[in-house]
Amino acid sequence: MERNITDRKILEIRNLTKGFGSRGGYETRVIKGISMDIFPGDFIAVMGPSGAGKTTLLNLLSTLDKPDGGQILLDGENLEKVGNKRLSEIRRDKIGFIFQEYNLLDNMSLEDNIALPLSLNGVKSTEVRRRVQKMAAVFGLTEHLKKYPYQLSGGQKQRGAGARALVTEPEILFADEPTGALDSRSSRDLLVSLESANRSGNATILMVTHDAYAASYAKQVYFLADGQIRCRLVKKEERKAFYERILDLQISMGGEQE
Amino acid sequence: MSLLKLSFSNFRRSVREYGVLVLSLAFSVFIFFNFQNVIYSDALDVLRSMRKEMIDAVVQAASVVFGVFLLFFTWYATNVFLGQRKKEIGIYIFMGLDNARIGKMYAIETFLTGAAAWIAGLAAGVGFSKLFQMILLKMSEISVDIRFSFSLTPVLVTTAVFWLIYGFMIIKGYVSIVRSSVLALLTGARKKEKETKSGAVSAVKTVLGVIALAAGYWCALETGEISSFLYAVAAVVLVIAGIYLAYDGVIPFAVRKMCENKKFLYKKERTLWVNSLSFRIRKNYRMYAMVTVLMTASVTVLGAAIALNQRYDRIVRFQETYSYQVVSYGPELDREEIVRGIEENGANEVEYSSEARVLILPNEVFHAEKYANAAYGVVSESQIKAVAEETGLEWNHPDLEKGQVIDLDHVILMSMATDNTEVTIGDAAYEIAGKDETAYLGDVQWSMSFYVLRDEDYEKYRPDGAEMLLYNFKVKDIDASADYIRSLAQQTEDGAYIVGTNIIYPEKGEDAYIRVTYSLCVFLFVTLILAAGSIIFLKVGNDAAEDRQRYVILKKIGIPEKTLQKSAKQEIRFTYYCPFVFMTVSSVFAIRALGNVMREDLWKVNVVSTLFILAVFTVIYLISLTGYRNKAIGKEK
Repeated sequence: MERNITDRKILEIRNLTKGFGSRGGYETRVIKGISMDIFPGDFIAVMGPSGAGKTTLLNLLSTLDKPDGGQILLDGENLEKVGNKRLSEIRRDKIGFIFQEYNLLDNMSLEDNIALPLSLNGVKSTEVRRRVQKMAAVFGLTEHLKKYPYQLSGGQKQRGAGARALVTEPEILFADEPTGALDSRSSRDLLVSLESANRSGNATILMVTHDAYAASYAKQVYFLADGQIRCRLVKKEERKAFYERILDLQISMGGEQE
Repeated sequence: MSLLKLSFSNFRRSVREYGVLVLSLAFSVFIFFNFQNVIYSDALDVLRSMRKEMIDAVVQAASVVFGVFLLFFTWYATNVFLGQRKKEIGIYIFMGLDNARIGKMYAIETFLTGAAAWIAGLAAGVGFSKLFQMILLKMSEISVDIRFSFSLTPVLVTTAVFWLIYGFMIIKGYVSIVRSSVLALLTGARKKEKETKSGAVSAVKTVLGVIALAAGYWCALETGEISSFLYAVAAVVLVIAGIYLAYDGVIPFAVRKMCENKKFLYKKERTLWVNSLSFRIRKNYRMYAMVTVLMTASVTVLGAAIALNQRYDRIVRFQETYSYQVVSYGPELDREEIVRGIEENGANEVEYSSEARVLILPNEVFHAEKYANAAYGVVSESQIKAVAEETGLEWNHPDLEKGQVIDLDHVILMSMATDNTEVTIGDAAYEIAGKDETAYLGDVQWSMSFYVLRDEDYEKYRPDGAEMLLYNFKVKDIDASADYIRSLAQQTEDGAYIVGTNIIYPEKGEDAYIRVTYSLCVFLFVTLILAAGSIIFLKVGNDAAEDRQRYVILKKIGIPEKTLQKSAKQEIRFTYYCPFVFMTVSSVFAIRALGNVMREDLWKVNVVSTLFILAVFTVIYLISLTGYRNKAIGKEK
């Protein structure tokens, strides 16, 4: 993956650190100086054993938490320097989220769930509908739009969450164990959808997972251990072969993940 | 931890959470106790002379109405309570408790909640009973001294009624828990709340609802005289049915249409709150309907009370128009001389006086042989105008045209008779051009029906009847010259009076029960409105707990808190003001119908009571909104 130095970076992470329980007591450092760059169109999986700092890293990058040290530049803007109001604007306009739980609102239809962020941002209703249709097509949900969450399967709900996260066309989508609660078929459907969104729409995705199968859909895999990036794999082959390579690496890094 | 301890700690928590429930139950006990206290306590024995048995009957009736209300209110409140509890019951099942024990725990807890309300309500009731009676009498414009007195009977009656109702609810809840399957208890909280009803059913409901409301309002407008009593009944039934169907059909239908119209829906927070509303209204429609009916009923009750009171005021004013009346069937008396006599005998002052010549006609002339006891008379237009001129009473009728008369009536509380538009006197039929309830002719106008005729018509009937001369006086001190007035009476040798006298003592409080009724109705009104407000308050509090998870999700996906606050505001505003608007519309019709029946102009009552409800609801709404925001949206991360 060759890049020019002039390429626009969506996220620039410099020497990030984060610890917990510092006040007077023993501090546990969870993130110990991580640096990485994320470019438009990237699909990155972050893997690592429990306690490696995956979720903490995701929370820092997605502005839900603040680092102790280091810098995060989102689209050139230093997150450390912006106020709460701007932060919430950034969260609204530039970032999308998918969580392990589906997090759809049970009191509205799938269509309205997907439309919600756009409508709240004051986007015109015709435009909202156009984009909802487009996203629904990407995630294979077109015929389920009128249904309510309780009428959907887990996989459909999670794809709905994905569609909702990407409908605002965020700079970057953060996904925290998105396949964690899904069976293998639903997982595959979701990952295929994410992959297709990444390819067709150039959606930039950063996904935290402990599942090698899920990670194999990404273009790059970062291995996190003990608060640091230990290794990076770049996909050059078919997905299946990439999957094998991820598994091999996991074994060579010493130990089964969870 | 023992079952009792667990219940007690739950109760302590629920007192905080269901403070409003305890408060409104306690308030109900307070009011009920005070109603009973009016009947049984001897503090109000001073009212004996004012037909206390009537007051007691009215209070008893009010108590029964209130008791029925209390039944429904408690039913509703404990259901909310039970629903909320059931959600936590799953945990106890995992702790190894069986249904019976959980049921027992619930019963103890509910008992404690009820006991708190009961004790607080009774304590406040006894403590403030004197104040309550003072306010009651003050509002009723009865001035007597009240002393504090305590009697056990009202305490016992209140206790019995309260525990009968509340105990039933406890048993009901206990049975409901014991009978539930473990699975139902575990999933009880998470029922499938979104049940999409079939389009046809809701379309039928919508159409029926619109028809019922329209028909109900139409019937209300048609309600006028006693003969249209059926219309009134139909109006009540149709409006209640219409309101239920409106909340079950029309409004959900409208909201669903709003949800389907994406062009409308996708406008900022609307996406959130309209969806939430659509979801809520299906679940809460009974509550909305109940509150709306309750409020409309209380406004109507208040209207009825005020109408009675207005009439009563006018009766009193009618009676107080003159103090003395001297009636002569023959000799002409000198009014000036009588005025001088009054002023000299008793150092009195005559405020105004009048005299009039009226013609008493036999019943046959009025074709009213059926009413043997009715007495009829006529008076000429010029005479009445002269009386009005002298006394300062207003005469607001245009000059009579040929073939017209004016009906001089007196005020009564409620009339069963319908208004005639025509009267036949002798051979001639007259159009009744107007009706007047001012006591121009004084006390005789109570006992006789008078018509005002054109002077030439009056002359026409003179040969048919006997003339009577009326002398009326309004004085400062009615007792001072009473003896002098009595001395004016003249009898013929065979004992028949040719000059009669009448001393019209002002209202002696015999009908003071009307004023007490009025005051009680005001109390009832305030209590019912507070209850209606607290029902919604309870519901919103309950919803807040359910909504919490939704707001957590919304915050997670990056929706700013400000947006959520706005959305919550819209939704809760609807919850309070939708029933209010419905009530306002319905009460306009109800009050209008009532006004027709009572022949009183009640629009002021309507406006004032609506504004009062608006004020109460706004206060409750604001408290509710703050509570909801703290509970559902919160500040936590």
